[in-house]
Amino acid sequence: MSKQEKEYFHALHILEDNCTGCTSCVRVCPTEAIRVRDRKAKIDSLRCVDCGNCIEACAFHAIIPRSDTLDVIHNFKYKVAIISTSYFGQFTEDVSYEVAKQALYELGFDDVQEEAMVTQFQVEMIRDYIRANRDKRPILSSNCPTVVRLIQLKYPSLLSNLFQLEAPMSILTRYLRESIKQEKGLEENEIGIFLIVPCVAHVTAVHQPEGAYKHLQDGAFSIGMIYGKVREYIKHLKNNPPKIETFPKGLMWALSGVQADLVDCEDIRALSVNGVDNVMEILSRVEDHYLDQYDFIVLRSCTNGCVGGCLNVENPFVAMSRIKKMIKEGKDKKIDVHDLIELYHAGEFDVAPLSSRPVLELDKDIKKAIVKMKKLNEILTNLPGLNCCACGSPSCYALAEDIVQGKATIEDCIVLLRRHSREEEESKQEEIKSAQDKV
Amino acid sequence: MGEYWYIRPGLEESVNGFFSAQPEADMALESQIPEKDFNQAGKGSAEVKNLLKRLGVNPGILRRVAVAAYEAEINVAAHSLGGTMMCRIYDEFIHIIFKDMGPGIADIEQAMTPGYSTADEMVRELGFGAGLGLPNIKKNSDALHIHSERGNPTLLEFLIYFMSDE
Repeated sequence: MSKQEKEYFHALHILEDNCTGCTSCVRVCPTEAIRVRDRKAKIDSLRCVDCGNCIEACAFHAIIPRSDTLDVIHNFKYKVAIISTSYFGQFTEDVSYEVAKQALYELGFDDVQEEAMVTQFQVEMIRDYIRANRDKRPILSSNCPTVVRLIQLKYPSLLSNLFQLEAPMSILTRYLRESIKQEKGLEENEIGIFLIVPCVAHVTAVHQPEGAYKHLQDGAFSIGMIYGKVREYIKHLKNNPPKIETFPKGLMWALSGVQADLVDCEDIRALSVNGVDNVMEILSRVEDHYLDQYDFIVLRSCTNGCVGGCLNVENPFVAMSRIKKMIKEGKDKKIDVHDLIELYHAGEFDVAPLSSRPVLELDKDIKKAIVKMKKLNEILTNLPGLNCCACGSPSCYALAEDIVQGKATIEDCIVLLRRHSREEEESKQEEIKSAQDKV
Repeated sequence: MGEYWYIRPGLEESVNGFFSAQPEADMALESQIPEKDFNQAGKGSAEVKNLLKRLGVNPGILRRVAVAAYEAEINVAAHSLGGTMMCRIYDEFIHIIFKDMGPGIADIEQAMTPGYSTADEMVRELGFGAGLGLPNIKKNSDALHIHSERGNPTLLEFLIYFMSDE
C-alpha cells in the first residue's frame, strides 16, 4: 500500500445513532468527501481536509469533533499549554486578558505560553522567506492545515508555493522543548506540550502533521471543550486579577486581514483571503498565474481567520472586534528572540516538501480516465440535474462520478426511479385500456 | 490576409500530422463567450481545468492549459463581438479552438508583440488589456495557429501536449 492510500486520521467522527441521513453535511463539504449510503453519512478520509463545515451543518450532533481528554496531561511530569491567539476573543469584555490566561494554569498546566509570543518573529521569517524565494510568486501561507490539505488535494501544482517553514505554535513548541529540557533538567518524554486550538484542522495536524521533521506536540484540546471549566476559574479569578505577562500585539495572528497587513511592506505586497469558498476561488486564480503580482497570500479556511474556527465559542465577527481592541490598547513589547533566531538558523523550523493527494483523478492511466469521463458525461445527460442530494451524493455530477467508479448505481437516483415507475404505470394503464377497448 | 503559425521545435511532424488528419476527438467541450461579459468569461477555461484534473493531467501542464485558455477566452470577450470556445481532448494532447464573430485582427505580428494592445477604456478599467494575451498563449502552448483579417471573424487554436518537457 502506498503512503497516500493509508488511512488518514481526522479529528472528527460520525455518531451513526444520531445520523438521520439528511445530507446537510454532504452539501457543505468543499471536497465532496461525504456520501450518505444506507441512510448514514460516511466520510472519505482521503478527501477530508478537516474544514469543519460538516460539524457546523449537522443539526443532529451526529458529527462530533474529536480532541484529547484533559487528563492525558497527567502522563507528563511537566505540562505546558500553548494557546491559540483566537482564545482571547472568546470572553466578554469584563474578563481581562490576564484573567483569561491565568485560568488556563488552573486547568493543571505548569506553564502557559501564547502563540502570540512568536507571531512577530514569524512575520519576520515570512518576509525573509519571501525575499529569499523571488522565483516563486505568490508565496502561500501554510499556517492553516485545511488550506495545506486543500492544496495537496485540489491544487497540487501550488505545493511549491507554500511557505515552507513551521507555523508559530510549532516554532514555540520546538523552542519550549529545548529550553525546558535545559532549565528544568528534564528528559524529552517528561515534558508534555499541548495546544489549545480553535478548529478541527489543528487537532488533526497535531496527530498527523504534514512535513514535520521533529517531535512536536503531545496533544490538542479545543477551546470549546475547555471553555466551561475555564469560565468557572475566571469567576474566581476576576476579583483578584493576577500579574502575568501578555502579548497583545501578537494576537493579530487570529485575524487573517491583520496578519496580511503586517507582512505587507515596501517590497512585499500581501493579500488576505478567508472562508473556504474564497480560498478555493483564489487558489484557482493563482493556478492561472493571475495573482502573480502578490508576494504573499494569507489563506484561512474559516471566516475572518482563526477566530472563525468551528471549535470556538464566540461569533467570528465579535471575536475579531474584541481582539482588535486588545491589539489597539496593548503596549508594544520587546520580545527576546535571540534563541529563536538560533534555532531558525539551525534548521529546527524546517519542514519537508509535501506530496500531493491526487484523489480527483478518475484513473491513473489517462486513456482509462478519458473512457471513464465519457461514460460519466453519458450518465450525466440521463440524470435530472436537480442536484437534490437525495441519492446521498453531493450533486448529479458527483453521482455520475460515483457510478463510474463503482461506488453507486443509477438506481440510487430517486427522481429517475420515480419517473420510471410513473412511466411504467402509465404504459401499464394504457395496455389495460387498449385491451379493454379490444374487448 | 493574416495567418500565423507557431510550432514548438521538435514537434513539427506530430503537429502537422494532426492538423492534416484532423482525427475525431475522444471528448469535446463547448462554451459560449459573450461580448464584454467579464463575469462569464473565464468559466469555459475553469471548466476545462476541472476536467483535466479529473483526467489526472500533470499539474504543470494543467497550469499551461489554464493560462492559455483563460487568456484566449478573455481576448475573445474583450476584443470581439463574442464567440465560442471548443475543446477537443485526445489522450496525448488537448486542442482548443476559439472562433469569434469579428472584427478581426488588423496586424497579427504586431498583436504578438508583448505590450501591444488595442483594448478600449472599458476593458482596461477592468484590469485587462495589458497587451500580454497572445504572447502568453504562445509561451504556454506547443502549437498556435491564428487566422484573421480585418472585418472578418478570427480563428485561434492551440495544442498542448500532456507529456511534454516537464
